[in-house]
Order: sequence, then structure tokens, then C-alpha cells
Amino acid sequence: MLMEIKKAAPGKGTMAFSPGDTGDLIDDNTILVQRTLRSGQKVHFDGNIVVLGDINPGAEVVATGNVIVMGSIRGVVHAGAAGDEEAVVMAFRLKPTQLRIATHITRPPDEQAGDPEQPEVARIKNGVVTIEALLTDRQGVI
Amino acid sequence: METASKEGELALSEVIVVTSGKGGVGKTTTTANLGVGLASQGHKVALVDADIGLRNLDVVLGLENRIVYDITDVTGGHCRLRQALIKDKRFEGLFLLPAAQTKDKTAVSPEEMKELCGELRQEFEFVIIDCPAGIEQGFRNAIAGADRAVVVTTPEVSAVRDADRIIGLLEAAELRDPKLIVNRLRSRMVRQGDMMSIEDIIDILAIDLLGVVPEDDMVVISTNRGEAVVQDDRSRSGQAYRNIVQRIKGEAVPMMNLDEGGLMYRLRRMIGLK
Repeated sequence: MLMEIKKAAPGKGTMAFSPGDTGDLIDDNTILVQRTLRSGQKVHFDGNIVVLGDINPGAEVVATGNVIVMGSIRGVVHAGAAGDEEAVVMAFRLKPTQLRIATHITRPPDEQAGDPEQPEVARIKNGVVTIEALLTDRQGVI
Repeated sequence: METASKEGELALSEVIVVTSGKGGVGKTTTTANLGVGLASQGHKVALVDADIGLRNLDVVLGLENRIVYDITDVTGGHCRLRQALIKDKRFEGLFLLPAAQTKDKTAVSPEEMKELCGELRQEFEFVIIDCPAGIEQGFRNAIAGADRAVVVTTPEVSAVRDADRIIGLLEAAELRDPKLIVNRLRSRMVRQGDMMSIEDIIDILAIDLLGVVPEDDMVVISTNRGEAVVQDDRSRSGQAYRNIVQRIKGEAVPMMNLDEGGLMYRLRRMIGLK
């Protein structure tokens, strides 16, 4: 099965910002995938993707924006697929087959490093895909 | 051939497809054992071999030399369903609908399979379909008429990967809540960290476990004899299949202890406690 969501209807809800709010930091171009993606399943979206479930080996998630997974990433994930180097990939357990951000393609090291034990975020730093523990502060995580 | 049951339509009849994606993980063995297990308890069971072109459920059941008509003869209207059903040698209520060997998967359509399952449902309490490997038409045919699915896997990454793909395809076909059988588990290798554990497999597949069948030479021995290991009271795999049969019938049976060859196990076995 190929679950390809190329273009979704724009958000129907309206957003209201109080004066002083930074509306430019908010966008409504996000889809919510409320299931685990299994081998052979693919989600493609022009925007951000949030997955409530896992991305299993053999599944693929491609977003032009960020990818956030409330579960384990074991498959292939591509964030910033249209070239956005600011895009990030975030997961409760980040152990992908392959991780791509913009034009960077990475894979986990061949030697077993053990499973991550905390949520992690992958982003491009100084031209290299870097994975760090997900730490939040008042500024947010990104 | 036996005549139709006189009670008429069976209210609780169920069509179950046994599938896996990958080949060689034990679909046919599982189908045969479930069929024999259910039939030995007095249920009326039809086994359908959907692996057209590569049939072997008939061989495993030791019924190869009795085939006259096959599934394509039924769907093609060359014979009546009753004529193609082969009665088992040992069990009164067990019948096999064999696959054709000289045709391919396109010889039957999903619609024809649905109709066939509907017809079998009138007479049998359990209809168990042995699905071919792969995800093409043979698979689509096999699942077309099913109410429930049993996914068989072995503790290998390739088999688990294919099982995951199959579960996705079953969900897409509205066959919700498939159940998992893990076949050929070697608990000693799991303990040593050399084989995927049940927990590892469930972690990825996230479906309910129907049973775990330990690796057992008796499976090969009985298969080659055209018998089913489920009838062997002394083998561990037979016990595992008997438990699975009870769970298929909706009974809660605790998972058996899989530690093979332990001192306690051998001692208990020596004094006949299994």
C-alpha cells in the first residue's frame, strides 16, 4: 500500500494571535499521522509531519518541513526534502535505517552503539547532521 | 464424499487466513496443524490451499494421491465444491480443497474466492486458508474471503520485516487485528542473545501473540510422514500447536514455558509429566 499524501487541504481552523505574538513562528502546514507506519507504507507531505506511532523498518516518511515522531523511528525519514537545511527530525527513539535532512544523507554507524534511551533530535549543525538529546527550554527545542 | 450437515448454516463459522509474506516460515505446517487440531476435537474444518501452482498442503496431509478436482475446477464450474473436497484419512470432520498445480495464481479471482469461502462457510465451522508467499494476486485471493488473519513469522529480521509489510496490507484490506504465531523459536539462542526474542518481535509488529512454536525435529519427522505434529502428545511443538488451537477457539491458555532441555524439564519428562 502506498499512502501518499502529496497535498492536503489547507487547515480549516483560524489562528488568532494576540498583539506581540510572533505569528511567523507558527504555521498551519502540518499533518498528523495517527498510526504506526509499517514496511512498504509511505507518507509524503509538503509541510511538517507528526506521527503518533512508530515508523517501522521499510516504511518511509518524506516531509518538506520537520518530522516529529511520538514513537520509534526504525525506517527511513527525510525532513526538509525540498532543501530546507533548518528542518529537524525528532523522535522518542531515534534509530532510523537512514536519516535524511535536505541534501544530507546519513545512516547509523555500522558498529552497534546500543539503543537510545531518551528522545533525540537530529538537525544540521555546521553542515553536518548532528543528533542530540531532546532538551527543551523556554525558547523551544528548535 | 460426506453429505452436508443437517443443522443447516453454522452460525459461528469462521474463515481464517494463514499468511506471512515470506516463504518457508511455516504457513503450510501451521495450517495443517490447526486443521488437524480442530478436527481432532470434533470440529468440521475445511483447509483451502490457495497456493496455486505450488501446492503442498495435500502433501503435508498425505492426501496427494486422492486429488481429482481442485480449486480452479470449482471456480471454473467444472465440478461442484463437494466433489473437489478431499476427506482426511484420520479425521471425520477434516476436508481439503487442493490447489491446482498446472495453473497459476491468475486462474482464480478474489471475487471467486469470496464466493467460495461463502459456500464453505455453510458447511464448516472453520475454514482455514493456506496463503502463498508474496504480496501479489495469490495473497489478494487468499485474504479476499477471510474474517480473520493469522500471521506466521520466524525470529529472523527478514521474516519479521515481511510480516510487518503483510500486517500493513491486511489493515489496508480491512482485516483488522491479525494474530501472530512465532515459529521455530530456539530459546537457548534467544537467551544467548543470538536470536530475536518474542519481546523484540512484538515491539516491532505490535499485534497480539497467538502462540510460540519452538524449533523441533518432530515437525520435520511428522511432516515427512504426512502426519501433523499436533497429534504427537510428547512433542513440545505439538503442545504449542494444541495451545494455539485452544486460543483460536477463544479459550485463554497460558503461554508455555519455552526453556528447552533444562534439568527440571528433562526430569519431569522422565517421570512422564511432560
